[in-house]
Amino acid sequence: MNGRHSRGAATLHPFAKHLINRTLVAVVTLLIAFNISYLLLRAIPASAVDAMLAAFAQLGQRLDPEDYMKMRQTLMELFGLVGSPMDQYIMYLRRFFSLDFGPSFITFPTPAREIVGRYLPWTVGLLLVTTVISWIAGNTLGVFVSFVRNKRLSRALENVAIVLYPIPYYVLSLALIYIFAFIIPIFSLSPASIPHIRIASISDIINVALYFLRASSLPALSIIVISAFGWWFLSSRTLSISIVTEDYVSFAKLRGVDIGRIRGKYVLRSVMVPQVTALALALGNIFSGALVTEYIFAYPGLGSLLYESIILGDYPIALTILSLSIMGVIISMWLLDTVVYYVLDPRIRYAR
Amino acid sequence: MPLNFRVVFSSILSVFHALLSYTRFRIGLAILAVMVLLSLASLAAPPAYKRWYSYPKDRPPQLDFTTIDLLLGTTSNGRPVVYIAVNALANSLIIGVVTALIGSHIGLLVGLLSGVSKGYKESATVLLIDSFVCIPGLPLLIVLAMALKSVMTIHMLPLILSVIAWAWPARNVRSITLSVVGREMINLARFSGIKFTGIILYEVLPYVLGWHLTNFINTIIWAIGMETALAIFGLSILSEDTLGTMIYWALNYNALFRGLWWWMLPPVVMIISIFIGLYLISSSIALYLNPRLRGHA
Repeated sequence: MNGRHSRGAATLHPFAKHLINRTLVAVVTLLIAFNISYLLLRAIPASAVDAMLAAFAQLGQRLDPEDYMKMRQTLMELFGLVGSPMDQYIMYLRRFFSLDFGPSFITFPTPAREIVGRYLPWTVGLLLVTTVISWIAGNTLGVFVSFVRNKRLSRALENVAIVLYPIPYYVLSLALIYIFAFIIPIFSLSPASIPHIRIASISDIINVALYFLRASSLPALSIIVISAFGWWFLSSRTLSISIVTEDYVSFAKLRGVDIGRIRGKYVLRSVMVPQVTALALALGNIFSGALVTEYIFAYPGLGSLLYESIILGDYPIALTILSLSIMGVIISMWLLDTVVYYVLDPRIRYAR
Repeated sequence: MPLNFRVVFSSILSVFHALLSYTRFRIGLAILAVMVLLSLASLAAPPAYKRWYSYPKDRPPQLDFTTIDLLLGTTSNGRPVVYIAVNALANSLIIGVVTALIGSHIGLLVGLLSGVSKGYKESATVLLIDSFVCIPGLPLLIVLAMALKSVMTIHMLPLILSVIAWAWPARNVRSITLSVVGREMINLARFSGIKFTGIILYEVLPYVLGWHLTNFINTIIWAIGMETALAIFGLSILSEDTLGTMIYWALNYNALFRGLWWWMLPPVVMIISIFIGLYLISSSIALYLNPRLRGHA
């Protein structure tokens, strides 16, 4: 990726400038997000913390007194009931960035970080696959529909998109479950648990892959259908309609450039640059929607873990997921804004 | 510059007439009107509907010309679905509208200030807006709602949702404000000696207001969706009926697989219709405000 375009080394290369700028924004955003979560947790009234502890005492009857005191101590620390404000802030800062919120309550002595780490690959896998597929499919379809002469087809697709766009993933998920697991029982309904992964041979790898496919196909379908045919389709169609009327496209047509080349290289390429920014901004929402979808499908990801931790009042796990998701979203935004931008937008590579 | 209310009223009326020429707007308005009428029907619900087992349980829908109590059947707790549904609709709409009233107006204010300010003030507000836009809302709201579960009320939920809700409107208002501030008339106004607040109120705000309306509607959609998401995780006000809690209880009692479709279907259908109705309205306003979006020239 580098080497080819290393001119302008004496002054600051525009990409270097862009990189520094985006990194600064990412770091500041991370700090602001951290402070917001800190302030909000401190704004919780003490009576609510008491209620939490009371609910927790009932749970404590089944526990070792020593373990109970340890959990109580963790809760008091997390909600700022011990130490000076400065100590609390530093403690939270350390925990937030090391993702170390103490032992989980669900499976007591195991650290929350370890449990979340076990579920994380499933969520990341699902999100990565669905986001990439829906982004590419939606954008390509949007661009190509804007060229279609057949107005009726284009109008029909647009109407479908308008109906799909405002529906949240999880509402479509309910419909999909009803159809594909109850009326036409193709997919199993048993709550999925993380399989015991021990890769010793090729057949193990195939088994794990098959398990992943079976567990993820329905949640993936509901996310892809909504986001590809809803938002990405609508926005890329709008963008490409305005790009088609640009002078350089008309000029290319007059010059006799192949129509396929115009569509691909001239329009689709230009649509992709603003759409990468849009994707970076939408990541937080995509992640939130995927959490609910995972829980509804009992997919063994962070959403299902979050539900369990809510029921049992397991704050270490909930807070780990919170700080992990904030960091994950901001880091992937940074990657999209720098690396993908560098690949897609030639202006940033050649400009001086 | 006093506002002439007759002029304002007649201009609103003419915009409304222009909007009515869009099929999209008419359909959206019709769906929304039906939903609002249905939610008004919640006023007619007898107080007994809230009690468990005041009706036979798991009763399928039946058409009875003397009473509408069993029109949509009953739940596993022996509560009539028809009254739960209309109350849930009303509560969800209230949560959405109150969140939008708070969130979109904070967004309007922050967006305007960010759009007209310069230097470090501008950078600071942009960073603040951008970081709120990026923060994944659901996990944050879940942790908040978990801790506040014991004191959660229907008035508190919109306040919690507003913590996140203002960011997208602010971003949108800022970009519109920036495009207006660059125009000549603002310089003219400034040189004519109009004060800062005067420029915002009389020169910038009129351009922003239309977009503010779309932001308002989109915030309603967002808030209802967020409440539903929280409720599915069991974190909304479970003792009250909202569209989200209705889905939560139906899922909790396995209504989907026990074949109690009349319990599961109404909230899903109502959520989808509200979202589509509101989105059709907001997108037709956006279409009216930005002719470039109208498609092939």
